[in-house]
Amino acid sequence: MTSNARPTVYQTASHSLDIEGIEARFGVRIASLLGEQAARTDANIAERLRFARERALERAREVRREVAAAPATTVVGRGPAAVLARRTGWWVKFASAMPLAMLVFGLVVIDRLHDHAQIAAAAEVDAALLSDDLPPSAYTDPGFAEYLQQSGEE
Amino acid sequence: MATDKELSDFLKSVEKRAFKRTAFAVRDDDAALDIVQDSMIRLAERYVDRPAAELPLLFQRILSNATMDWFRRQKVRNAVVHNFSDFEGNDEDGDFDILETLDSVASGLGGESAADSVSRDQILQLIEHEVGELPTRQREAFLLRYWEEMDVAETASVMGCSEGSVKTHCSRAVHALAKALKAKGLAP
Repeated sequence: MTSNARPTVYQTASHSLDIEGIEARFGVRIASLLGEQAARTDANIAERLRFARERALERAREVRREVAAAPATTVVGRGPAAVLARRTGWWVKFASAMPLAMLVFGLVVIDRLHDHAQIAAAAEVDAALLSDDLPPSAYTDPGFAEYLQQSGEE
Repeated sequence: MATDKELSDFLKSVEKRAFKRTAFAVRDDDAALDIVQDSMIRLAERYVDRPAAELPLLFQRILSNATMDWFRRQKVRNAVVHNFSDFEGNDEDGDFDILETLDSVASGLGGESAADSVSRDQILQLIEHEVGELPTRQREAFLLRYWEEMDVAETASVMGCSEGSVKTHCSRAVHALAKALKAKGLAP
């Protein structure tokens, strides 16, 4: 093989590994020096980081306390759509269904009262017509209607 | 579930690196501190029930998201997108030219020859400066891989990109750093 021959697949792969190895060594070396520099962080910043850490830890304790305070609560789903479901007894279920039942009952009562009022109004009109001296058919007679109109104008 | 001590130890171990990484990105120490604090609290609130082994990856994700949120709030998204799309490498000298310097730079940093010419403090500051000058995505990939010691898959997960992209960003970051450090006389 001559020196300017194209590299074989093996040589290419080997060369690629060499490059990756060199890059990795370089990266690790730079990172360790960066770490050394980071360790010399300003005291004020270190103090603020400590404060931030303590706040986070306090928040974690609060979350744990909240979870511990609600042992009957189980997570049904996770993520943004998490739903909390509570294990409940019959009485609680009955009590929670009561407002809905009362609402339905109220609607039914209102509907019945409305029907009753309409029937009563229609019966009153019927009674007035039937008990009048004029027969109901007189109101459909065109001559009688004209008579009523003229009487009204006079 | 991570115990109080595990969470505390984890946060203690990661806080300075998290601050530096964020400060590189936002170039504002106060904002970086706020972002790190928010990230710590978010981790504590939402993932306190997770095992301690999962905390590093979760925290890095939260930190990256919080940093992005900060950029959105600052309404400099265009600048970020510009940086994020800046994937062009400085390959005009050819791979082999840079590769030849990698080993020498790596062995020269902190070694006798570098220490003779430049003080160690200056070297560390110079490295920090050059890392800060890297394009955002290259810097993120480099720091997550080599500083946070994450593997390629974890880095890809945190950055929300493919493993191939992570390798590319890391490689370009290493080459850019090697070239910049050599230009500053750190290569023997």
